[in-house]
Amino acid sequence: MTGRGPPRLNGAGAGGMCQFKLVLLGESAVGKSSLVLRFVKGQFHEFQESTIGAAFLTQTVVLDDTTLKFEIWDTAGQERYHSLAPMYYRGSQAAVVVYDITNQDTFARAKTWVRELEKAGSPNLVIALAGNKADMANRRMVEAEEAKAYAEEKSILFMETSAKTAMNVNDLFLAIAKRLPRNEKQPSGEGGSGHTLVDPAQDEKKSGSCLTTPGLNFFTLTSELDLRVFKFEDVYGVILNRISTCYVVNK
Amino acid sequence: MCKNSMQPLGNSCLGVSTFFASSHADDQCGADGLPLTPNSIKVQGRFQWLKVLYHPRLCQYLDLVRGKHERLILVTEHYKKCLAEEAEDDTFTDENNFLRLAYETIEGLAHIHDNGFVHRNLHPKNILLDTEGRVKLSNYAVYYITGCGADVNFPVGYPAYMAPEVLMAGPSSSSSCPPSGPKSDVWSLGVILLEVALKFKIWPNLSLPQLLAKILLLGKYGTSQHPLDSILKEHSMAEKFENLPLNIRYLIRLCLELLMSNRPSAKDLLKNNVFGKFSPSKCLSKSSSQCSSVRAYVVKILKYHSTSRISNYRFASKLDPARNGEEDYLAERSLKEVYYLWGLAGGDLENELRKHGFLQRSPPICSLPNLVTEYGDILGLERDRSSLYDDTVITLSLDQLRKRLEHIPPEDYYPLIEGEEMQQMSQSQSSNDLKELSQLPLVIREKDIDYQLHRIVLFDRLLKGYPHTIQRIKVETRRDMPPLYRAEAWAAILEVSGDFMSEYDAIDKESPLPIDSQLLIDIRRCHQYDEILYSPKAHSKLKRILKCWLISNPHLVYWQGQDSVCAPFLYLNFNNEALAFACCSAFIRKYLHKFYASDNSAVLDEYLAVFSHLIAFHDPELSNHMRSISLEPKLFATKWFLTMFAHVFPLHKIFHLYDTLLLGNSSFPLCVGVAILQQMRDYLLMEDFSACILIISDMPEIDIERCVQDSIRIFCHTPKSATYRQHSRPPAKKEDSSIFSMKQISYYTTDVNEMPRSELSREPLSLEELQAERCPRISAEDLLELCGLTGIENSRSPTRKSKSSKPIILILDIRNSEDFSRGHIPSSINMPFNQAFAPEGDLVPCHGVTQLNSHKGRVVVVVGNRGNNAPNFAAQLVMLGYPKVSVMHGGIECLKATGILSVSSPDL
Repeated sequence: MTGRGPPRLNGAGAGGMCQFKLVLLGESAVGKSSLVLRFVKGQFHEFQESTIGAAFLTQTVVLDDTTLKFEIWDTAGQERYHSLAPMYYRGSQAAVVVYDITNQDTFARAKTWVRELEKAGSPNLVIALAGNKADMANRRMVEAEEAKAYAEEKSILFMETSAKTAMNVNDLFLAIAKRLPRNEKQPSGEGGSGHTLVDPAQDEKKSGSCLTTPGLNFFTLTSELDLRVFKFEDVYGVILNRISTCYVVNK
Repeated sequence: MCKNSMQPLGNSCLGVSTFFASSHADDQCGADGLPLTPNSIKVQGRFQWLKVLYHPRLCQYLDLVRGKHERLILVTEHYKKCLAEEAEDDTFTDENNFLRLAYETIEGLAHIHDNGFVHRNLHPKNILLDTEGRVKLSNYAVYYITGCGADVNFPVGYPAYMAPEVLMAGPSSSSSCPPSGPKSDVWSLGVILLEVALKFKIWPNLSLPQLLAKILLLGKYGTSQHPLDSILKEHSMAEKFENLPLNIRYLIRLCLELLMSNRPSAKDLLKNNVFGKFSPSKCLSKSSSQCSSVRAYVVKILKYHSTSRISNYRFASKLDPARNGEEDYLAERSLKEVYYLWGLAGGDLENELRKHGFLQRSPPICSLPNLVTEYGDILGLERDRSSLYDDTVITLSLDQLRKRLEHIPPEDYYPLIEGEEMQQMSQSQSSNDLKELSQLPLVIREKDIDYQLHRIVLFDRLLKGYPHTIQRIKVETRRDMPPLYRAEAWAAILEVSGDFMSEYDAIDKESPLPIDSQLLIDIRRCHQYDEILYSPKAHSKLKRILKCWLISNPHLVYWQGQDSVCAPFLYLNFNNEALAFACCSAFIRKYLHKFYASDNSAVLDEYLAVFSHLIAFHDPELSNHMRSISLEPKLFATKWFLTMFAHVFPLHKIFHLYDTLLLGNSSFPLCVGVAILQQMRDYLLMEDFSACILIISDMPEIDIERCVQDSIRIFCHTPKSATYRQHSRPPAKKEDSSIFSMKQISYYTTDVNEMPRSELSREPLSLEELQAERCPRISAEDLLELCGLTGIENSRSPTRKSKSSKPIILILDIRNSEDFSRGHIPSSINMPFNQAFAPEGDLVPCHGVTQLNSHKGRVVVVVGNRGNNAPNFAAQLVMLGYPKVSVMHGGIECLKATGILSVSSPDL
């Protein structure tokens, strides 16, 4: 990393590297931008401003010796911006459809997004359904079972998340990462062959445990940081956040 | 429109007081899942409109500042004398003086009640007396701004002066407590008047429970015994009271009626015969006093500018009465200005408070509670005394400010704004200093008291002369904008006119609309870092303005991001929603024409295509790089233009940007876009797609002053027809022959499409063509003007035309040499397309190439026949990195009729 601009978490490592385009869709104010911000920067803003058009962010994760780079398009939620959406989901390998568990309408909207993606998205698109704002369970309007049943019916990933508490945020993206075919791997000689991930369930067994141990997460994290250009506080904050996420998951 | 009716400083001073709003327990969320709005923010929102509440009997509220830990600091007009001190004197034993005191206090109360709130905080300490002994009520809004006492931990008001019904309602902290009505103030006034009349304090030494009991017991006898008689009896004062003049006795008895239904309102009292000989206090804004102030102003001008040609009239001295020597120029400036200048002179409110022993904090260790529950409840913490209310008012010293401004010559307070004097002025000593100051960076200028004083005085003067002074306002704004008068100046520049007040009032903004929920969601996160926009008051105002706009523009719809566009206008005109609405509407009309149509894709795509052309025109290297990594402007600039950068920058940057943007035409924002990209270009050129788009969406610290300067430069170096857009606003109809019709066409502010059209003007291109081409097209008209070929009657281009030898453009004629020799534009160079480029795409060396290379920076115009040859040629040049390449629209054919084509070949 040269001295240009603000330092980023996504200064990708040099190992085997796959790039994936991921798009976030969903009704406005369900927390799309917040999820991305939590995943990419480990931050949360109560008054996250609305997204106009779309915003772009990247994040890399290390999964089984492979560096996966997510190129994330975070789209505007307002229905008016709908016409722009195909521009972003076309050619995407993954899509996260977000709804707000405290608002039934947003779930209905999420379903229409899933339908649209099934119709117009690329055939191998990995779709994940995220019920966000899980920290506000006392105001829940969408039951987790309902969403889960829907997700199973559509055979898409499902998780309830909270960008505010970081619950399941990283796991959601990691689960997506595991489902993504990694055949675009560059020939760097690192790791195994390019087609290891075929059966997601099998993969779960293989790597699931180590993914949620703080140790590996820590390793994942440090590998993507160039510590020289970071302030200690930044790094510390991110690590703390990751570890606490793991803690929640392990519990 | 420009409400400058604010009272001048006069003999008042500035007073500061402070209190704490109550704080929420940590981590509490409201029903919407968002953190509870801090009480200090709510107070801040309610406070804003008090800044424009003027009445001669009320102390003007000037500012409310939030400190740490929910501290609030109030700045008000203040007088050192108050009734509490003066009551001991014999002034009010005189019946007339007494009644005047009562009358003026009631006037103040009546004005407060007319504005829909109550004082509830009356006390002889809060009835101030100015140097002429006239009443000025102070601290009258504490009850109102704290949400009837709900947002603070202390009770508002003084128990001894509280009406029985106020005490009956219970503590104001309980939610069941109904807010006090206006007639409670009349009771308080009654008690105060009684004390003044009898010159003694009722119940001075009672404990609080005793005192409350006494007041509540006044109602013991119901209506059978008047509370006044109970009081007099208790203190054996009945005889002394009977000796008072009848009018006074009558008045006090009226005020102290037990039942609110029997007690008169403040307004009723004003009409009472007791006050037959008094007439209402005059507001300064009344025409008579304004006349006198205008006359005074003229006198001042004549006096201080007597050295100039005005002295010929020789009545300067005659008109000026004896007042000479020490004159207080500051006293004539409005309180708002004085307070602003005080801040610039280094005034610091917290510092002042600290000097007077406020802001003392106990060590943190002492503020630890004994027990904290897991829900955040705190137990066993002794109440911090500083959270209680302290009604001390500290007087701000203006000495430092006066001293700081000592050297300002008197004539600078009375600038001439017309004619040659304007120029002459700039020869005086202080103007020379100012000239130097005006070279400094904007941030320094905005903090410099000398500079700001001059700017404020000037803008105040100009705004009072609006609309006559509109041109001058624009010219001055080009230099910079004094922040204090930004709201008014923007309105003037946006040419807000007509009866926008009643237009705004006539629209129903309250009935629910389907869009409401979307508005609510967006407003709740729009520029919320700003404490005023964060307040619930701001949310409701913003919602009303947006709804009003939607209703008055039925053919347009709400697009997310429009909230941000509206926000700066609301921020500036917080106390004038109608004006905020009018400014915002005018802004959208001018810069965002059709952007908020339900299908805006054609409009936006055209705008972005023209933007791409401009990037290629001014920075081919960047444009080529962006193309090579497929970084389309659509991916990042949609947000820029759809919100005119209001969603991109924080408010303070938007202000600086708009100060200039508002002066430009509807194409100016495109230049701002290019300027922003250029500021990041060094990074962008090094990076790939994802890094580039990250840099752009991060918007690293953009230097907005530089951005503005660059935008102006870019704008001035762009031929006007290059930004032609078919979807831009159609020319305004001629019928509005208002004051604005007399303005001459200025290239800077007028849109291309508003200029007279001819057959040499540009015509629309289809979107596909537009997107396929890389360079802007310019009209034949522009081309002729740029070469200085025709003496076009009124030159509109800002591009400096060097009439002598140096042409500023280079015309490349790409037709074959035969066509060229048959007729071409004088001084154009023939570079036939089919011979110009080598197979690898490089230029084949020839005369044209030499010219191109030796005159980089000139506008290159590619001229061909109609068809795609010229655009393709131009695109090739851009690929090779040549800047300022454009194509003449319509080809050589459209010039044939003009007769300027020459047949000879001067370049051979």
